[in-house]
Amino acid sequence: MSGSLFHVLNISRIDMLTKMDDLDIVSNNVANINTSGYKSNRGNFQEMLEKLNYEGVTLSSSQLITKQGAIHETNNQLDVAIQGNGFFGLTIAAGKTGYTRDGQFLLDASGRLVNSNGYPLVWTGTIPLEATEVQIQEDGLVRALVGDDWIDAGIIQLTRFANPSGLTNNGNNILLESDSSGAPQAGAPGSTNFGTLMAHSIEGSNVNYADEVTHLMTLQRAFQMSTRTFQTTDTMISQAIHMRKA
Amino acid sequence: MIKGLYAAASAMLAGINRQQAIAHDVANLDTPGFKQVLTSLDDFKLTQILKTNPNAMADPVSYLGMLGLGVESVKDSTDFSQGGLQDTGNEFDLAISGEGFFRVKTPAGERYTRDGRFIKDALGNLTTVDGNQVLNSSGQPIKLTDGETVIAPDGTITVNGVAAGQIGVASFKEPKNELTRDGENTFTATGAPTGTDKGPISQGFLEMSNANPTQLMTQLVEVSRSYEAAQQMVQNQDELLGKTIASLGRIG
Repeated sequence: MSGSLFHVLNISRIDMLTKMDDLDIVSNNVANINTSGYKSNRGNFQEMLEKLNYEGVTLSSSQLITKQGAIHETNNQLDVAIQGNGFFGLTIAAGKTGYTRDGQFLLDASGRLVNSNGYPLVWTGTIPLEATEVQIQEDGLVRALVGDDWIDAGIIQLTRFANPSGLTNNGNNILLESDSSGAPQAGAPGSTNFGTLMAHSIEGSNVNYADEVTHLMTLQRAFQMSTRTFQTTDTMISQAIHMRKA
Repeated sequence: MIKGLYAAASAMLAGINRQQAIAHDVANLDTPGFKQVLTSLDDFKLTQILKTNPNAMADPVSYLGMLGLGVESVKDSTDFSQGGLQDTGNEFDLAISGEGFFRVKTPAGERYTRDGRFIKDALGNLTTVDGNQVLNSSGQPIKLTDGETVIAPDGTITVNGVAAGQIGVASFKEPKNELTRDGENTFTATGAPTGTDKGPISQGFLEMSNANPTQLMTQLVEVSRSYEAAQQMVQNQDELLGKTIASLGRIG
């Protein structure tokens, strides 16, 4: 049961490194406070124990928090937000699909709906090049105004997962399926367990500024305490070393 | 050798153990579901002090009293007081207010925890963030279908309005004596749950660490100073011994 003071120093050292890792996560969240469709990350701490020997704390995992972000209205007819469950599918490479909540779309030269990186949306239709106006309905139906007539251009489906927090980050606001997220299930917006679409809107980041700033403050205080503990242990070691005056 | 030397050294060793517990508590100030470690010290052993009588006619040895031989660390205990609840708003974050522990199944057997960070995995099982399955009131894993999950304060689960089981909560009359900490924020029990009081479960909340920063900082000062005092005592004993050897033992 008796450890050494160097082991105690190690507890404080790992403690400080863990807090620095958490700081990276929180900073990343704060940096993305205005990224539309962004889902925040949460670092999960675990107590570390080796039999009955205390080992401090470790950052065991980083969890994707998939809460709904706030929806803002925009003036773009191709901006669409998801209210509820589901993701847009994007073709990011040949045969590879990425998923996102970021619904800021544009029309490219061939009339495909693409996101800001140029990745085309996975859906069952095309917008005619001569269309003057596009309307995206709640249930995913896309209608285009050609001349004086509205025609149905296709349906945008959503994809959902059993465990959305298990999706992995590919960068550029795109998430990929993984073993822990489960297989992608496509469905129409508005059907059971799927959210609905809202046109002329985008979903904001789900990062809560007040929560993250509070987290930063507690992190700073906890870090200060860790340093203080480290210094005290160091003083004790120094006293033991200097026990013999001669 | 001089008993006092060992007594003072024992105080320094006890200081190391207390410092280790404090460092561990400080490291886990932000760990959800963490229950802090409490250390305690006890008298090491007592020995008799005897005095030899110079007068040969009286009793050769007379008893004067008991002398403590130092201090030892006894087994650490755990403080099971309630931690504060933090509102996270996540569907599968759960917190218990009051008595009771969540039941989780680890490869090493059933464990108990207050850490309610759960997720629904790819197959629909309710698991902890480490992948251990959460058990229902009959000790079986909980499998959920797709849909919006609502968990009532008594642990009943409904998915899209349909009942889907109940979160198992194990309660112990005396957690201090019946539970030992086991790593990954869990506890093992010596026997079956003995208590009946089960606190309400709050969905969307997490119970934070019950480590108290003010208390820990005060303890840090206390341990540091008592360690210094013990070290001073060892030094004094050493000097005494030095003088004894140098002056008393000198020939010529």
